[in-house]
Amino acid sequence: MRELHTKLKSLFPVGDLTEQRSNLGFVTVPQEHLRAVLVHLRDREGFTHLVLLTAVDWLEAGQFQLTYLLSNRTAGKDLGVRVMLARDGATMQSIHDVWPTAATYQRELREMFGIDFPGSPRLHEEFILEGWNDIPPYRRDFDTLKYAQENYSERPGRVTHDPAAHMKQKLNSGGN
Amino acid sequence: MSVRDLLSPFAAWKNLFRDPVTIIDPLNDRPGAPRYRGFHQNDMDKCIGCGTCETICQNGAIDMLPVDGIETKQGDSGLRPRIDYGRCCWCALCVDVCMTKSLTMSNAYTWVESDPDAFRFTPGVDKKHWDNAELGYHRPEEHQLMAKVRLPMGEMEPETRIESFAEIVNGYTIEQARLEADRCVSCGLCVATCPAHMSVPDYIAAVRDGDYERGLKLLYETNPFSGICGSVCTHKCETTCAARHDGDPIAIRWLKRHIMDQVTFEQCRDIVGGPRPATGKKVAIIGAGPAGLTAAFDLAKLGHSVTVYEAFDKPGGMTRWGIPEYRLPYARIDQDIDVIRSVGVDIRCNVRIGKDILLDELHNSYDAVLLALGLQLGRATRIPGSEHENVRKAVDLLRQATAFEDFGPPRQAVVIGGGNVAMDIARTIARLQKKEFGRVQVTLTALEDLAHFLADPDEVKEAGEEGVVILDSRGPRQVVIENGQVTGLKTWHVKAIFDEQGRFAPSYDETDEQMHAGSMVIEAIGQMTDVSILGDTLTEKLTWNRGRLQVDAGGRTSEPWLWASGDMVRGPDVVSAVADGHRVAQSIHEMIAETEQPK
Repeated sequence: MRELHTKLKSLFPVGDLTEQRSNLGFVTVPQEHLRAVLVHLRDREGFTHLVLLTAVDWLEAGQFQLTYLLSNRTAGKDLGVRVMLARDGATMQSIHDVWPTAATYQRELREMFGIDFPGSPRLHEEFILEGWNDIPPYRRDFDTLKYAQENYSERPGRVTHDPAAHMKQKLNSGGN
Repeated sequence: MSVRDLLSPFAAWKNLFRDPVTIIDPLNDRPGAPRYRGFHQNDMDKCIGCGTCETICQNGAIDMLPVDGIETKQGDSGLRPRIDYGRCCWCALCVDVCMTKSLTMSNAYTWVESDPDAFRFTPGVDKKHWDNAELGYHRPEEHQLMAKVRLPMGEMEPETRIESFAEIVNGYTIEQARLEADRCVSCGLCVATCPAHMSVPDYIAAVRDGDYERGLKLLYETNPFSGICGSVCTHKCETTCAARHDGDPIAIRWLKRHIMDQVTFEQCRDIVGGPRPATGKKVAIIGAGPAGLTAAFDLAKLGHSVTVYEAFDKPGGMTRWGIPEYRLPYARIDQDIDVIRSVGVDIRCNVRIGKDILLDELHNSYDAVLLALGLQLGRATRIPGSEHENVRKAVDLLRQATAFEDFGPPRQAVVIGGGNVAMDIARTIARLQKKEFGRVQVTLTALEDLAHFLADPDEVKEAGEEGVVILDSRGPRQVVIENGQVTGLKTWHVKAIFDEQGRFAPSYDETDEQMHAGSMVIEAIGQMTDVSILGDTLTEKLTWNRGRLQVDAGGRTSEPWLWASGDMVRGPDVVSAVADGHRVAQSIHEMIAETEQPK
């Protein structure tokens, strides 16, 4: 893994290597170099398989983190390539022409995080959220509870009690 | 065709002798993974009904409900979570946040019913086949959402603090207070335990938000002695804190103190808001301690004219004359009391009832009279030799120390008692000895064994650090007097404090006798009220209950014009006295309102 990292570093401005396990590592690359790094890894280093593409919302830092997890099946090694994007108007180049399966992940990320991948096939078709009417739900500023309360009715017969108020009534009634 | 191609079919033969990877009965025999987030389990022995699961649930799937057979008691709301599986998404946040680890998830995941309401159930109460499943999701240690450890309170080192009466603890910084406040889940289980029912979760939230004005307002809603309580409250609330089940309880007392540390006297005064329009009704209160002054504060805010008579030259009662300065600086007492004065309470010091003014005069010129005398008299051991002049009462010495009177601190002292007052006098004597003689020589003997001391564990620990020798399970037998001088105390080992019926009747091992040297013996075994001011006639008229004045729930005695509150009717600490002051003020106010109504 270190060898590979050294080699990548000589070719691209990649960041430090985080080795989670001996056969699993992560590197961060600047947005504009991602495509070149992925193609190099696929064609020269045997990372022929895109395992997944996912995102993390670093709300406080104003960034999205994309992780392209690649696998070299013959060597039994996985490498995660990370890209940090500005959260405002988040846009990333599509890689559906590098791995056709990426289109599906990109469609999901567009729906769940609101990240745009211009040119990606069927990007704006609904993926799993039919009739969604709010900000993308995996964004951390999405208030799940508020959404649930506003959009879904309660089953009749539900009632709840506040512990402190309940104890006051049970234990302290008659007092102040 | 290669040799390999010829042989490979035979390679498959070896699988004949292996167990198949397919599941033989896939409909019935397919358990969830070991950490599967399946149906909920709730251990009824551990659940305290704190409702944090309900609060964290992002789908609004959890309700807190009373359950037959589960009682509401201190530290347990008696409520239990009911989950609506029509909403649950099995994210397991409820399991991760659970304060007692009672809530877990089994690895069961199939459940068929025709009634949709059946999927709304109370785990642990509604019996399910997965209740005893061992596999499933249990919170791993690294998923702890709340910090377990309390932010340590900075305090002076023993070597330094023994040199003076300067306050020991520093109080939290803003950063420390926020981190500590962040540990609170706002369940509110503590509110019922606090005698004054202070709105603890709300003022802790104010600390978290850095909104000290809001915090201060919340404190004054229930407790005009918040400055004092922030330092010396017995903080029973912390014994029912949900956080104590898996970590340290929240430092509730120190967070209250932090609010008071961050505000000025002017802010306090503005928040309580000055005197109210007068009703023309007059109330006299005897005793300017926490109970009397709390009642005075409430009644003055309601517009009644309140006069407080205090025998000593400064108000504060036991908070001033009992608690040493290193625990509670006098400036903090003065500030709380000045705020109480600002609503129009008239405090007259150096007025002794029965001497400077008669109780009868108060009865005649006021609409109501409240006794809040406190416990000013020290109880006596009555052991042989205890009538000697160098056998003293702790309360008397503490009072003298506060007044800076020189009572001749002994080079070597023996204290009898294991409560907070015993610790207070032992540590006060230790400081005086250090100043006068350069060394501490105090022995403290208590009936209780160390695990059952009545004093706060912190007090016992700190007294030990300051050089007080603490001996537990020792019963006082005799004060030894030689040539007219006290030379020490003889004690026996205590076998048991209570008899089989649970009555106080210590039994001793007389073969285990010890002599503790000292030129002064100090009794700190409890206090009582000086009821002599009531006079014979009134004492005869009033109803008593085992030596205590009998009062109703509102603190009213058998005489309709006379109320009693605080330590003299129910103890034993500042916050209980504050709670009692509120109760009695309410009762007096109701009486006044009733007499106003034309019938």
